[in-house]
Amino acid sequence: MNALQRHRRLTEIWASDPGFRGWFSTVNHTDLGRMFLATAFFFFIVGGILSMLIRAQLATPHSAFAGPEIYNQIFTMHGTIMMFLFAIPTFEGLAIYLLPKILGTRDLAFPRLTAYGFWCYVFGGTMLLVSMLLGIAPDGGWFMYPPLSGPLFSPGINTDFWLIGITFVEISAIAAAVELTVSILKYRAPGMSLDKMPIFAWYALVTALMILTGFPPLILGSVLLELERAFGLPFFQVDLGGDSLLWQHLFWLFGHPEVYIIFLPAAGVISTVLPVMCRTTLLGYGWIVAAAVALAFLSFGLWVHHMFTTGIPHMGLAFFSAASTLVAVPTGVQIFAWIGTMWKGRPELHLPMLHILGFFFTFVIGGLTGVMVAVVPFDWQAHDTAFITAHLHYVLFGGFVFPIFAGIYYWLPHFTGRKRFFRLGELAFGLIFAGFHVTFLAMHWVGLLGQRRRIPTYAPEDGWTTINLISSVGSFVLTIGIAVLLIDVILHVLTAVRGRRNPWNAGTLEWAMMTPAPAYNFASLPHVTSREPVAEDPELCVALARGQGYLGEPRHGWRETLTVDIASGTPDYHVIYPANTRLPILMSAVTGVFFLSLLLKFYWTIPVAMIGVAILAWRWVWGLGLKEDIPPQGIGRGQEVPHAASVARSPGWWGTTFLLTANATFFGSLLFGFAFLWTVAPGWPPPEWLAPSALELGIGLAGIVAAPIAARLARRSQAPLPFLAIAGAGILAIGAVCAALMLRTPDPTGHAYGATLLVLGGYGLFHAALAALMVAFLAARVRRGFVSPLRRAELPIVGLWIDYLATIALLILLAGHLPGLLS
Amino acid sequence: MLGGAALIFALVMTLLVLPFLRRGRAGSDGSRVRIWIVGLGLVFPMVVLAALLAYGLVVGERLLPREADDVVRVGAEGRLSAWTFSYEDAPGRATEGVLHIPARRPVDVSITTADVIHSFWVPRLAGKLDAIPGYVNVLRIEADAPGTYEGVSAEFSGPGYDSFTFAVTAHDADGWEAFLRGETQ
Amino acid sequence: MRDIIRILISPLVWLAAFSAVYGLHGLICGHGIDGEAFGLPLPRLLLVAAYAAAILVQLPILWALYSPRFASPSPFVRFVSRATGWVGLVATVWSLLPVVMTSYCG
Ligand code: HEM
Ligand SMILES: [Cu+2]
Ligand SMILES: [Cu+2]
Repeated sequence: MNALQRHRRLTEIWASDPGFRGWFSTVNHTDLGRMFLATAFFFFIVGGILSMLIRAQLATPHSAFAGPEIYNQIFTMHGTIMMFLFAIPTFEGLAIYLLPKILGTRDLAFPRLTAYGFWCYVFGGTMLLVSMLLGIAPDGGWFMYPPLSGPLFSPGINTDFWLIGITFVEISAIAAAVELTVSILKYRAPGMSLDKMPIFAWYALVTALMILTGFPPLILGSVLLELERAFGLPFFQVDLGGDSLLWQHLFWLFGHPEVYIIFLPAAGVISTVLPVMCRTTLLGYGWIVAAAVALAFLSFGLWVHHMFTTGIPHMGLAFFSAASTLVAVPTGVQIFAWIGTMWKGRPELHLPMLHILGFFFTFVIGGLTGVMVAVVPFDWQAHDTAFITAHLHYVLFGGFVFPIFAGIYYWLPHFTGRKRFFRLGELAFGLIFAGFHVTFLAMHWVGLLGQRRRIPTYAPEDGWTTINLISSVGSFVLTIGIAVLLIDVILHVLTAVRGRRNPWNAGTLEWAMMTPAPAYNFASLPHVTSREPVAEDPELCVALARGQGYLGEPRHGWRETLTVDIASGTPDYHVIYPANTRLPILMSAVTGVFFLSLLLKFYWTIPVAMIGVAILAWRWVWGLGLKEDIPPQGIGRGQEVPHAASVARSPGWWGTTFLLTANATFFGSLLFGFAFLWTVAPGWPPPEWLAPSALELGIGLAGIVAAPIAARLARRSQAPLPFLAIAGAGILAIGAVCAALMLRTPDPTGHAYGATLLVLGGYGLFHAALAALMVAFLAARVRRGFVSPLRRAELPIVGLWIDYLATIALLILLAGHLPGLLS
Repeated sequence: MLGGAALIFALVMTLLVLPFLRRGRAGSDGSRVRIWIVGLGLVFPMVVLAALLAYGLVVGERLLPREADDVVRVGAEGRLSAWTFSYEDAPGRATEGVLHIPARRPVDVSITTADVIHSFWVPRLAGKLDAIPGYVNVLRIEADAPGTYEGVSAEFSGPGYDSFTFAVTAHDADGWEAFLRGETQ
Repeated sequence: MRDIIRILISPLVWLAAFSAVYGLHGLICGHGIDGEAFGLPLPRLLLVAAYAAAILVQLPILWALYSPRFASPSPFVRFVSRATGWVGLVATVWSLLPVVMTSYCG
């Protein structure tokens, strides 16, 4: 088979359906990455237009451009769209597009999940857009503090759009994070040990892990606030045992890591692009990895710096002030490693480099003002003024938008296979850079003069008129610059000047394929021996196209790839991907019906949607089943590895592990909320505790012990059905006592204590139902002959869920019954 | 603080521009790591930040309400869209929109709210402190001279937020006595 | 997976210790715990003890990351895990320093 024939065969196997109908059934990461990026930039434009409206309103005093009701919606939607619908999805899109290519493999770990996440993002984003078009958009500011956002002060549907829409979008972030984590750890080219991973993959790994642990607190907060709004469970109402500060803790427990979730991928882009622009390699690779890990962790210890003015005792503030200054150190390490890289090489002023310089200039200022507001007394003055808005834009625009623009121009030849023809990019950069700094330097200044953020207008006597006008003019220059940039990119896509394959002479694997990328990425998978395989062997692309790597012979119509051992990168097992399907879009549509029913309070369609999701999920997983054993497979180069269905730690097992990590963070946040209310909220202790019941405790404990043991026995046994039955019984017992907890909890609308127990019980019941469904699924699998010694990967996965259920059930029972026992 | 920040910024920008002017230098990665990453990336920020942190903690400590004999205690309750002030030295007395205090004496303002979160901020007298449902936060302020100081509510509270302001009137000793006796409005 | 744990363990322990000390501080101030022991106010004593414990937990981890028995076989992971090991220790000392510097409830 020659290279062209191989290309044809592989394309037949991997291609999406032709035409626009292929968009709805594609599961290919290249397609979905592009779709993600295009959608994210659409939202960037929407958010940008909203920011123009803000600046138009603030340009003159006593502006009558928009009334306060509309203005509040505008800035809330601007912040919300930029953070949730532009920044995070842009990272997801870039990582989804790039990672398999840069890691030297053919797709991400769970292709259908990629598609599901994308459609959840689209539908959730659409919900928010619709609210805006109808003039009922969220209006409480992007951090939605109760009680202002609670049922008493925001009775309209506006806030519900935010809580429900954002949670829906968040599903896509969690899905992408699980997917990226597993892909980076397991789906790499053979030979790529941890130290040979491209630096972008390290950043993406750290970011994905941060999403898994950073987003659950916000999801929990949104669930609780929505429960309060819809059913009167008073989590945030102080006179009923709630506490509005709980929201602030949950929100910023998410909100600060969020800033680094946005910054780290951008830093990954810089670490990738900058050395290429300087014709050298990155200085201090190991240092940068350590700095990224350190940054990720430290950023979870800073959240209270958003609450410096809430009256927390001084020592409490001081902890977070100290941690907030410390976080500048790993940032400094990265900045100076990059500058050192520039000194090591010969920097050339290509367009991506311009944006990187824009990044340095802007981000360093943002970092310095950030250190200033980490100092508590200064923050007491600056907090909630335009100074903070200016600071946050220096960080977000400097630390994200400039690097992403650099990345776009760097990878544009890869996206399109074309050369830049019109040269609008330099002009665009100049306008953006100048416009940005005029806009936000002015806002720093007017903030120091005392202008509060989020005010719809001000008076001429305040003396802010000129500065605001300058700022608004700057923002229009900025917008024109962005428009020029977008035109430049569109023209690039439309002009037909074919470019060289590796125009920047980069060393990473994404340049060892034809561009635009074929659906299968690599005709055969490379064996990696260095961090820059293409620099090592410039002819690598040709060798791979000739099938000289792994899995070079297309067979059985399989979409095949390999996984590797996490640390050493030796081939681990053989994977066959599912093919094109509309299941993901269908499932996210039904998920959307669920969220929409919540929003519109059509409570009778909620169970329908839930059953729909369950049925589709069943089909989803069922389709992966094999009726026959796949023996160990030859992968070329004289090696043979087992198939994924026969191993204990299959891709699904890894995915479940990380999904449960996110889930455990969610549950941990719930327990934190319980402890917080108990110890801090003014309205405690509650009028009555739940009456403890020895019977319930006994039944629950029996289930907690029986289910995991039976699941373990089922894994070992040749005839697992009886053990599955016992596990099922144990799960039902757990479900029953959780339901009893929900039924017996004292007055959930009367005090936050009862409300918390209701949620705890509901969480347990939900997981029991889930586990029961899984056990039923396994039983069906066994009976239909889908399970054999070489096909038993599903048993350990369900085992993980059962272990998780047992653990949380124990904690729920303790949290529910112990206080009553003790008092 | 601003000066120091400007200095650091200038340093970084210089280091950024220089490599464009002079072409790649021989040298080992080991020594580069020592200079750039350990020296400039690690040690330099840690020294600067340690100093800054110590400064911040000490200043913050000094701003705390300390026990003193001549402290005046007043209350401030935020409520959409006005502040109501009460006075420990004049029980039953309440003013709306204007807080009266004596000049040149430390005043502890007990801040709370009747509805949503607000923030009490008189820029010329002190930093801001939030009014949070169910809590009473105490802010120490002190006016150096008699006069009127403008205050604003500094936490977004929905429509009407921009005009949610108040004033602080600082009296001299006689004026304060007069106010407590109810002779001033 | 072991290598990943080697890299993450120290900062993870820092995060746990940091949250625990913050929680302890909240508890002390929220519940007005007071008193004296060994001539020192009890709250201060408790906090300083927690601070010391947090540092003491970091030390053996760092030691293990250097000892041939527990260190990673890969030189790269050895380097990164030791670096993050130092991060854990320095972060503990630094971020909890207010325990000995500022007043506790006020
Ligand atoms: C395109 C250029 C942009 C301009 C001209 C702009 C302008 C503004 C202005 C004037 C405000 C504040 C209004 C106020 O509270 O008084 C604001 C708020 C905000 N912006 Fe931007 N912005 C831009 C881009 C971005 C980007 C790229 C992000 C994030 C990735 C972002 C995130 C935010 C957030 C989170 C807020 C706070 C919203 C709130 O207070 O609830 N902005 N922006
Ligand atoms: Cu923050
Ligand atoms: Cu605030």
